[in-house]
Amino acid sequence: MATKPSDSRWLDCINVILLVLAGVIVMTPTAWMVLSSFKPSHEVTAYPPTLIFAPTVENYVTLSEQTPFLSYAVNSLIVTVGSTLFGLLFGAPAAFVASWTRITWPAVVALMARMAPGTLFLLPWYVMFRQVDMIGSYWALILTHAVITLPIVIWVLLPYFDNIPRSIFEAAQVDGCSPFRIFRRIALPLVASGLAVSAILAFVFSWNFFLFSLVLSNSQTKTLIAASFNFIGEGSTNWGGLMAAATIIALPPLLLAAIVQRWLISGLTLGAVKG
Amino acid sequence: MASITMRNLVKNYGNVTVIPGLDLEIADEEFIVLVGPSGCGKSTLLRVLAGLEAIDGGDLMIGDRRVNELPAAKRDIAMVFQDYALYPHMTVRQNMAFALEMRGLSAAEIAPRIEEAAKLLDIQPYLDRRPKALSGGQRQRVAMGRAIVRDPQVFLFDEPLSNLDAKLRGQVRAEIKTLSKKLRTTMVFVTHDQIEAMTMADRIVVMKAGIIQQVGTPEEVYENPANLFVASFIGSPSMNFLPVEVQADQLRLVDGSLLPTTLMAGQAAGHKSLTLGIRPEHFEVVGEGQGIAADIRLVEPLGSDTLVHAFAAGQEVIARVSPDLRPVTGQRLWLSPASGKAHLFDPETEVRIDGTGKVN
Repeated sequence: MATKPSDSRWLDCINVILLVLAGVIVMTPTAWMVLSSFKPSHEVTAYPPTLIFAPTVENYVTLSEQTPFLSYAVNSLIVTVGSTLFGLLFGAPAAFVASWTRITWPAVVALMARMAPGTLFLLPWYVMFRQVDMIGSYWALILTHAVITLPIVIWVLLPYFDNIPRSIFEAAQVDGCSPFRIFRRIALPLVASGLAVSAILAFVFSWNFFLFSLVLSNSQTKTLIAASFNFIGEGSTNWGGLMAAATIIALPPLLLAAIVQRWLISGLTLGAVKG
Repeated sequence: MASITMRNLVKNYGNVTVIPGLDLEIADEEFIVLVGPSGCGKSTLLRVLAGLEAIDGGDLMIGDRRVNELPAAKRDIAMVFQDYALYPHMTVRQNMAFALEMRGLSAAEIAPRIEEAAKLLDIQPYLDRRPKALSGGQRQRVAMGRAIVRDPQVFLFDEPLSNLDAKLRGQVRAEIKTLSKKLRTTMVFVTHDQIEAMTMADRIVVMKAGIIQQVGTPEEVYENPANLFVASFIGSPSMNFLPVEVQADQLRLVDGSLLPTTLMAGQAAGHKSLTLGIRPEHFEVVGEGQGIAADIRLVEPLGSDTLVHAFAAGQEVIARVSPDLRPVTGQRLWLSPASGKAHLFDPETEVRIDGTGKVN
């Protein structure tokens, strides 16, 4: 049996150590959150944290009794799905055109908008939506969340479109296709996996974004993540309730990521290589 | 079926002029091969013909129509790309039907055309496969099928054989030529491979730096190259070029050996210094002391004949000789051009001097 050179064995060891370290850094807060949600109130903030405890669903019961959690979840779903669809509807053609024309500055501008802190947009949007009497509407939240979903869709799809050989588009031109038909009949089916990746990422980022909802929603349209802040009071915070809400909020993105992890990784790697 | 006319056609990329004003007439049903080294503008010219690149000056006519501003979709042309450019998410049948669907033909009209083209190209067993499941040769056939099924006025081929292995290339080359005779459609074929050009073309267009160097039948271009560039580009191995001085009715080579001007295709009279061009296959092995002394450096037996790389008249030359000669490295041969087969070129203008002694 062939033996590996010692350099290679050292690299393998370092790789394993780094992976374990990354795993601990990523998983510890998640595990803490899930475990805390099943702890009695007095144990949640105890230090050192208790690892052996009698699990209880009391926090989840409080959550369902004190807040209209289901309707907040529906609000979150409406806003997230709406803004994801909005992002796909406008982001996919934008990425295609940027790739086709090799003019990427609009995509850079979109990325800058994504990187800017959300508070930058708050005041103008608040004033604008108040002016047209849209504060508290789903549309206000869907449109504002597009600032999160649109750049994600554009930047995930751009390398996918760039990866399609140009001759395929040219063949379609010679075959009599208009640019729109090339986009719809040729380009979109060829970036199907990229569409899935961008849709999932857009969904996750929009789902987890709370700032716009905090300011632009009302009690009827408040999203789950904004509502979870109700547990943080001025005097005291219901940490158990907050952890239970956070666990439920984290479930859809985690489930989505687990289902499509293979696509996600290839999609993100594609972006990294080409970008 | 249509003729193609280019009048003073200009193509620029920004400040760079790729085609500085080109005139060319392609007859209806003619098979034209554009050939030249990389960067000579042949593919650009094809893309201009296809409508994939805008024209910056002059006129382009397909048949009686001026198509300068016409988009690719409306030029009634079909193109076979170097990488075939098949739609990966469609089956072979869908690939072939796509252009017809775009024209608004019904499924009932499309089906028989696909069957006919598939039969012609022998791709019926693959109609329901995706391109990924096909070999290079099969993909090439499908790309041809996609073009044929449209029954266009003009076929354009952009180096479609360059991704095939040598054996398959020869086979497909013959198939395309046979097909061109059957379809009787105007065809423009781009290649950098002079063998493809020679074997397939009705006429060859040799290009360099966006300028046409010569247009002619394969025989004309091979036997009477217009200039040093064409002479060196057409033919494999390349023509040998030797500097000579004209001395009365003889040519004096660098090593002092003399060749009678009567052996030349052109007349040397009136010139002082010339470039002598001899194709490897036009060398004859002559008796000792005659012709040019050639010391063999390398022998390449090809079976049907043997290539001899030798040092003669101060430089490396290649001669194609009979394998019966059994040449060996280190041996000295005496070579002379076959009568009427050696060409003379003006070293300054690089133009060939024809039989009358004039530059072409």
